[in-house]
Amino acid sequence: MDPIEFRLPHTIQRPKATPNHGPRTHTTRPIVTGTSVIAFKYKDGIMMAADCLASYGSLARFRNEKRLMSVGETTLLGVSGDMSDFQHMQHTLESLLTQEYDMDDGQKLGTKSVYKCISNIMYNRRTKGDPLWNAYVIGGLDNGQKMLGFVDLYGTTYQSATIATGFGGHLAQPILRRRVEGREDELSEEEAVQILDECMRVLFYRDARSLNKLRRAKVTAQGVEISEPYMLETNWSFAESITGYGS
Amino acid sequence: MMDFAPMHSAPAEVPVEHHSHGGWDPYVDNGGTSLAIAGKDFVIVASDARQSDGYSINSRYDPKAFTLSNQTVLATTGYAADAKRLVEVLEQNAQTYFHKHEKQMSAPAMAQMLSNTLYYKRFFPYYVFPILCGLDKEGKGAVFAYDPVGNMERVVYQAYGSASALVQPFLDNQVAGANQRGHEGGLLDRETARKIAIDAFTGATERDIYTGDWLDIFVIDQTGIHREKRELKHD
Amino acid sequence: MFLTRSEYDRGVNTFSPEGRLFQVEYAIEAIKLGSTAIGIRTNEGVILAVEKRVTSPLLVADSIEKILEIDRHVACAMSGLTADSRTMIEHARVEAQNHTFAYEEPIPVESVTQAVCDLALRFGEGADGQESTMSRPFGVALLIAGVDERGPQLYNTDPSGTFWRYEAKAIGAGSEGAQTELQEQYHRDITLADAEVLALKVLKQVMEEKLSNTNVQLAKVTQETGYSIYAKDELQSVISRM
Repeated sequence: MDPIEFRLPHTIQRPKATPNHGPRTHTTRPIVTGTSVIAFKYKDGIMMAADCLASYGSLARFRNEKRLMSVGETTLLGVSGDMSDFQHMQHTLESLLTQEYDMDDGQKLGTKSVYKCISNIMYNRRTKGDPLWNAYVIGGLDNGQKMLGFVDLYGTTYQSATIATGFGGHLAQPILRRRVEGREDELSEEEAVQILDECMRVLFYRDARSLNKLRRAKVTAQGVEISEPYMLETNWSFAESITGYGS
Repeated sequence: MMDFAPMHSAPAEVPVEHHSHGGWDPYVDNGGTSLAIAGKDFVIVASDARQSDGYSINSRYDPKAFTLSNQTVLATTGYAADAKRLVEVLEQNAQTYFHKHEKQMSAPAMAQMLSNTLYYKRFFPYYVFPILCGLDKEGKGAVFAYDPVGNMERVVYQAYGSASALVQPFLDNQVAGANQRGHEGGLLDRETARKIAIDAFTGATERDIYTGDWLDIFVIDQTGIHREKRELKHD
Repeated sequence: MFLTRSEYDRGVNTFSPEGRLFQVEYAIEAIKLGSTAIGIRTNEGVILAVEKRVTSPLLVADSIEKILEIDRHVACAMSGLTADSRTMIEHARVEAQNHTFAYEEPIPVESVTQAVCDLALRFGEGADGQESTMSRPFGVALLIAGVDERGPQLYNTDPSGTFWRYEAKAIGAGSEGAQTELQEQYHRDITLADAEVLALKVLKQVMEEKLSNTNVQLAKVTQETGYSIYAKDELQSVISRM
């Protein structure tokens, strides 16, 4: 029989430790999630896209979420994964930027610094066993130099001319590699937008957690520009002919 | 302060789509291969630059061999994030050492420090297989190979990483002359060592899906570190 | 300096209006009461020699130890309040062992010296008013002799935590006369054997007692053998070469 538990009123009692063998973890799974982010280098800078959906499991819960943001004047940040962890990161970055602004020393936080900062936060959190359940894509121009990097909940980092998170890694990355790799200094903006839309269309066709309402963004010498949400033209006539597993 | 009622009920179930029950694993294997061969008065280090996560290639050029001083190179494999942090820790310590003792850290000193650094994280290890290369006090090529918890061994050659099971026997044969009749033994000359390193990676790239894209080669000798970047197959 | 003495020699951490820390200066004065110690650097190694004040025939001379080993390649001679040196030597030894553990190489001689000097000004009260381990400055000066990849070296430390590198140095009661003598006799390519003799000769001149194999200590640090202190018979053979 369980022993009777006495609780004195108005006293603070530490929550009783539940027997928990093994390591303590915190965010053990993502709850409200954003899907793929895709990004690549082109002639004038960096292009990035993400849709406006934040899913709650298989439920399309929030359909007007912003998953692209600027960090300072020359950096673009795209996120996939847990949206509350992303908001936490947003707060951290905002206070970082406020601190930098308050310095009033004319120094601007460059893309490399933002990338290193986010990477350190991510790696340190994974080391604590309390990861931020996200994959971040960071792009920008550091004194004329194009920079595009990735960091995820493991603190794994890499830079590449083309980056795609989540499903995009499987569906969009092959397209990006074919169309962008080796041409990142010659791609025009028009072609870049066309590649971006093509990738996002494929993702919308095949990723069940995606939405045909998306934003694209670019970083150029003129700064960061994030578009208003827009739709892609789709064609579902092929669906008629699908039989078997696809029907 | 508020007086919270104890949480007897389980947290509300949310419709997640992942069904892992094993808890979160804080490690990733990012693949890739590194090798080193010591010579009489030089040492050669080579690492491919592909970074993978499962069947996906993250980046075609994410170097995993790092120059720690103008006399030492550290080649890594395993978990890239840990490797990068490990390198930062070593660089920091080397810089502190430089300021404190007014001299560059030698390769053997770095080797001992690396062993300690890994061992201090014995119960939450850096998931990295490091190969530290440089010249010893006599100017001879020195290769130090480690396991993730700091066990250190000075060797003549070493291959670590996703293709180590392919490359190490190749080096046994080509560098140590294992199973070769009439092999003279002794250390390789610089050009032979370089060719063997390249061949090892060409072969590894063919058979190991995690190895490829680019090859970083470092030759360390009395005059410093000489770097070379070569292309491997991108498939 | 005693003419300017004022209430500013009370607090160990209080500067006088002239910008002096009297307690530190007094500590430096305390060295000049200590027995004489001499160090001579040669290209083959470093010689350390100290005078032992055997104040009573009943005193066991061997119990006076003023040259100590810090590591295989570093030794130290002292003058002043030798008891204070315990803390410093202990620290130096730990620092040397830690270095070998961390880097598998002998610690550089200058680094040992620096490590010892780092202790020197940790006296008085801490910034937030807590007691620190030491209430006054060390009253001891050291001659640190050693060999490393930069060759044989000799350092002198004082209670202010400053250190200098010397070719030849005398500290303690007879230091003024001894230093003058060293300055005249020392030359850059002096041999280790000649330095042994020179050290004892200079010591002899400033000692009140007659120099013998019981009232001096002689030690050397060389690249080949590291630190070694001379046994009575070895000491006697040096004395006989004087």
